[in-house]
Amino acid sequence: MENSVKTSRVVAVCLTLVGLILGMSIVALNVGSAGYSVSEIINAIFSDEPSTVKVVVMNLRLPRVILGLIVGASLAVAGAILQSVMGNPLADPGTIGVSAGAGTAAITILLLFPHLSASVPIFAFVGAGLTCVLIFVMAWDNGISPMRIILSGVAINSVLGAYNSFLQLLHADDLQNVLAFMNGSLSGRSWNQVYIALAYGSVGLILAFCCTKTANLLLLGEDMAKSLGVNVNKSRIALSAVSAFLAASTVTVVGMIGFVGLVVPHMARLMVGSDYKALLPTSTLLGGLVLLVADTVGRVIIPGMEVPVGIIMALVGGPFFLYMLKKRGKVYGG
Amino acid sequence: MEVNARGVQIGYGEHVIVNEIDIDIKQGEITTIIGPNGSGKSTVLKALTRLLDYKIGTIDVDGEDIRKIESKDLAKKMGVLPQKHQAPPDFKVKDLVSFGRMPYQKWFQGNTKEDDEIVEWAMKEAGVYELRERSIQACSGGQAQRVWIATVLAQKPQILFLDEPTTYLDISYQLETMRLLKRLNKSSGIGVVMVLHDLSHALEVSDKIVVIKDGKKYSEGTPAEVVTPQMMKEVYGVACEIVFINGRKNPVIAYDEIV
Repeated sequence: MENSVKTSRVVAVCLTLVGLILGMSIVALNVGSAGYSVSEIINAIFSDEPSTVKVVVMNLRLPRVILGLIVGASLAVAGAILQSVMGNPLADPGTIGVSAGAGTAAITILLLFPHLSASVPIFAFVGAGLTCVLIFVMAWDNGISPMRIILSGVAINSVLGAYNSFLQLLHADDLQNVLAFMNGSLSGRSWNQVYIALAYGSVGLILAFCCTKTANLLLLGEDMAKSLGVNVNKSRIALSAVSAFLAASTVTVVGMIGFVGLVVPHMARLMVGSDYKALLPTSTLLGGLVLLVADTVGRVIIPGMEVPVGIIMALVGGPFFLYMLKKRGKVYGG
Repeated sequence: MEVNARGVQIGYGEHVIVNEIDIDIKQGEITTIIGPNGSGKSTVLKALTRLLDYKIGTIDVDGEDIRKIESKDLAKKMGVLPQKHQAPPDFKVKDLVSFGRMPYQKWFQGNTKEDDEIVEWAMKEAGVYELRERSIQACSGGQAQRVWIATVLAQKPQILFLDEPTTYLDISYQLETMRLLKRLNKSSGIGVVMVLHDLSHALEVSDKIVVIKDGKKYSEGTPAEVVTPQMMKEVYGVACEIVFINGRKNPVIAYDEIV
């Protein structure tokens, strides 16, 4: 009884998260190399007069906050969906190489076929999708083996990493774009990129919410889902595609940021339980919040220097991953 | 409803596990598939429920090729409790049983009033209605098994297929599960097909027993016809006597003393 999740609880958690996001957004608009008070910021946003405050807040900080929220939400939901498809709470677009697949495709286009740069998002999506297929093929052993998924992911990640480093060596003079992909960062993104992320992110999130029921059914195991009339293979392909789409859309705009899809759904499960009806909305909000906090910490932790949010997430996420590896099995009761 | 398998061969890759099997399943009967470890009995159950494809032969459900039936339509006819199933430990009993209504719903639909009534009926039939608000991890092994049976019942199937439903349960839960299945079969005429390890359970509840040995059907018939000292010797390599006890319908197995 004590573990049963009530709708009121989910609503309370989500409302709290919305409150925290609003509060954190104000903090994020405040802090930085130039600190402004809340009233200064509000005045700047709503006044017509041009001012430094307005330029900094409207052109630098606000797009960054919004981008962080979208990217965090997308990555968290991509992870949550992937965990159902792969039957493994450790699956995350970053740890199993889906993001690296998107990144590799994007870097290849940018460096080798620059005339196709406008289509980078499409190639990133294809790269992420192909990586999903590769993981399935490698992890298939009379059904999907959760441990093999993680092991194949590690292998794929390292091969793609090697390829990316090699491309960088060959094109050392054109590294600006590439480095941005490798260390996911929200720094210096314009409104234009916010619109791109918003467009892809909202489509991806809507698709993900349509998968709620299937994601729940896949939690019951392949045979049980099948005998309940679910076409398991089609569902896996569809859900993987949605997850790859979300991950790829973030990679094209801010580069590779790992561990959000691992840490956030796990925290969300502790708050509202494993039912995707509650898990997806909670992960969406919590994902945005976590990435916003991580980015803001990265902006202020070393005075005069910005630590990319990808590095902050890796620093926190790595140990978290190990902790989950240690207590694995308890999450799905397996 | 009927399921008829003719000359079915099943295997993984090049490896043939089951060969030339003929089986007829009828609604209203309890059919038990028995056989030693690795004989292919679970494989047969999986093929009969389309969890596994077969290579040669035919499997028909009410005269229709099982491969051609829509997944959801098949799920309305047969309820399957596979050996491997799991649920997140915090899922509520009520929610788990509601998954049984899945074949009747579109992907965006939740439970209708009718669905809720059937879920309630299934929980009452399986004796888990009192546990409906409890999480699955708070249920005992026997309770959890009844919750899963309720889930499959909520599909409103004509035949239930269960793969070793008593494994990992202690004897009181094993008997409880057997009693539940027998009662469901008698009260609603639902067919039951199960793979069992325990021959005394098979003797006690079955209308028909099918014996599988080395991927082939060794024999089939009523419990008294099938479970004989000769079968025990040839299939399991075990010496025993079959003892009839006054007042009991089915005999019991007395294995030779271990000295």
